[in-house]
Amino acid sequence: MIEILETPPLNTMQDLGRVGYRCHGIGRGGVMDRLALAAGNALLGNDDGEAGLEFQLFPVRLRFTRETAFAVTGAHCEARLAGRRLPPWWATRAQAGDELVLSSPRKGMRAYLTIAGGFDVPQVLGSRSTHARDSFGGFHGRPLLAGDVLGNRAHAPFVFRDSAGVGATPAEEAVPAAPCEDLADGETVVRAIRAAEFDSFDEASQTALCRTPWKVTARSNRQGYALSGTPLRRNALLEMRSHAIVPGVIQVPPSGQPLIQLAEANSAGGYPKIGVVIEADLWRIGQLPPGATLRFVLCSLQEARAAEQASDAYLASLRRLAGYCRKAAA
Amino acid sequence: MSVNSDVTVLKEARVSFCGSAAVLLDAEGPLALATQERIWRLSDKVRQWEGVVDTQPGMNSLLVVVDSRTADLEALAARLRETWPGVPSGRTAGRLIEVGVIYGGEGGQDLPEVAAFHKCAPADIAKLHSGPEYTIFAPGVSPGFGYLFGMDKRLFTPRRKVPVMRALGGGVSIAGIQSNLGKPYVEGTAKEVPTGWYMIGRAPDVPQPFDLDRTPPNLVSLGDRIRFRVDRVEA
Repeated sequence: MIEILETPPLNTMQDLGRVGYRCHGIGRGGVMDRLALAAGNALLGNDDGEAGLEFQLFPVRLRFTRETAFAVTGAHCEARLAGRRLPPWWATRAQAGDELVLSSPRKGMRAYLTIAGGFDVPQVLGSRSTHARDSFGGFHGRPLLAGDVLGNRAHAPFVFRDSAGVGATPAEEAVPAAPCEDLADGETVVRAIRAAEFDSFDEASQTALCRTPWKVTARSNRQGYALSGTPLRRNALLEMRSHAIVPGVIQVPPSGQPLIQLAEANSAGGYPKIGVVIEADLWRIGQLPPGATLRFVLCSLQEARAAEQASDAYLASLRRLAGYCRKAAA
Repeated sequence: MSVNSDVTVLKEARVSFCGSAAVLLDAEGPLALATQERIWRLSDKVRQWEGVVDTQPGMNSLLVVVDSRTADLEALAARLRETWPGVPSGRTAGRLIEVGVIYGGEGGQDLPEVAAFHKCAPADIAKLHSGPEYTIFAPGVSPGFGYLFGMDKRLFTPRRKVPVMRALGGGVSIAGIQSNLGKPYVEGTAKEVPTGWYMIGRAPDVPQPFDLDRTPPNLVSLGDRIRFRVDRVEA
């Protein structure tokens, strides 16, 4: 079991989200970095979609009340277990009473704690993700608080062959981002597919989408990121009807400053869409803090599938390697 | 003011990719019950197609979500394009819910502004608004009463350019040619949120539309109808 000793607000339990409930106006939700969660689970031999704790504000302190195999992936936040520093993207075993401290990340924005067997909370509408807006799912439908005690579900006991544990090459090193010709230092590139209203933007704006940098503003959270840069303009200002939207959609409100809807996006919206970031690159946005710079490149469906396959291959090889590094406990 | 003048109306249905894991069908023509009935039918049908993991009707549109690992979006888009013209309309008799509304006053504070915009008395707005039956056309932004269709076109009120902070819980609001009914306020959630809609009334006894302790959790479904009853008009 894990006891939360200290946590800022807005840290929640999330899995890969809730699929199949859009008829109720319930969007997918789930983690902001799907690859980091899946990698943590792969290191522990859990299913990819097992729920983890998503930490987006720090510092976080927690205590393992009994021996627990766990992984910390995602943002590089100088995890310390009983005072010993853990490498990024690492799985190991905590002893009963060990404290884990996660500090503000040097790199990235959101860190994930996964545990062997997964957290023992009920699935609500097929998922353990916290639906903060309507207060259901996850841990009592709310963000984590100091004093919360989280149990884990039973699993086949194992030990790490090397008592230090096992690590993964962080996704940002193992899964390359798309090339972008005039990339400046520190910019993050994500691929997007043209959306329904792409052609209604003027030519300069269509060009600016991909040729100019976009700053992630402070109005950025799990629901979406507000960007600032060269305003994008449409040829005609036609109002849109409310329509269903997906995480990754790049909406352009009348101000011309784009919004990317993310994990906790409303299930529907009414702004025109210039593009949609591909599934395989959404995690890169989830790791961007306010102030970071984003670049878009347009891609084809074929390129999107190749990107998806690259992520899958990374996870599969990680799962295989991590499997070699564990053995069933006697 | 002519009604649909500033809203996109397509001559032909359009199917576009919505990222790498979804396809969006925008139906031709203006918003209409007959078209929306076809969208609901298409939604039910497509939900059974292999690889489709979810569908969501919008106002005159349908989003189809697939498993991005197995999906062939091009084939799905082609199949949607082919299927749509043959989908019939036809009414699934939805249930009717009556909701008592106090127009104006606290929670309906924008009624005078709306009345002034339409150059009439607040009571006239209440009468126009409560006249028709509204049909739940599409799921809303989160679980609730969804997007309603049926408002009297004379009540067309352009959405605010600059959003204001308003409490939406149990509120009756209008914007453009649409009207919304807010679910009861849930303790612990944000009371006021930014919105471009006008709050014209409150429904103190509005039932909870979504409750996970109920089976099924949803009180209303697409095609159900809502009738607003004028309980009082507060100036």
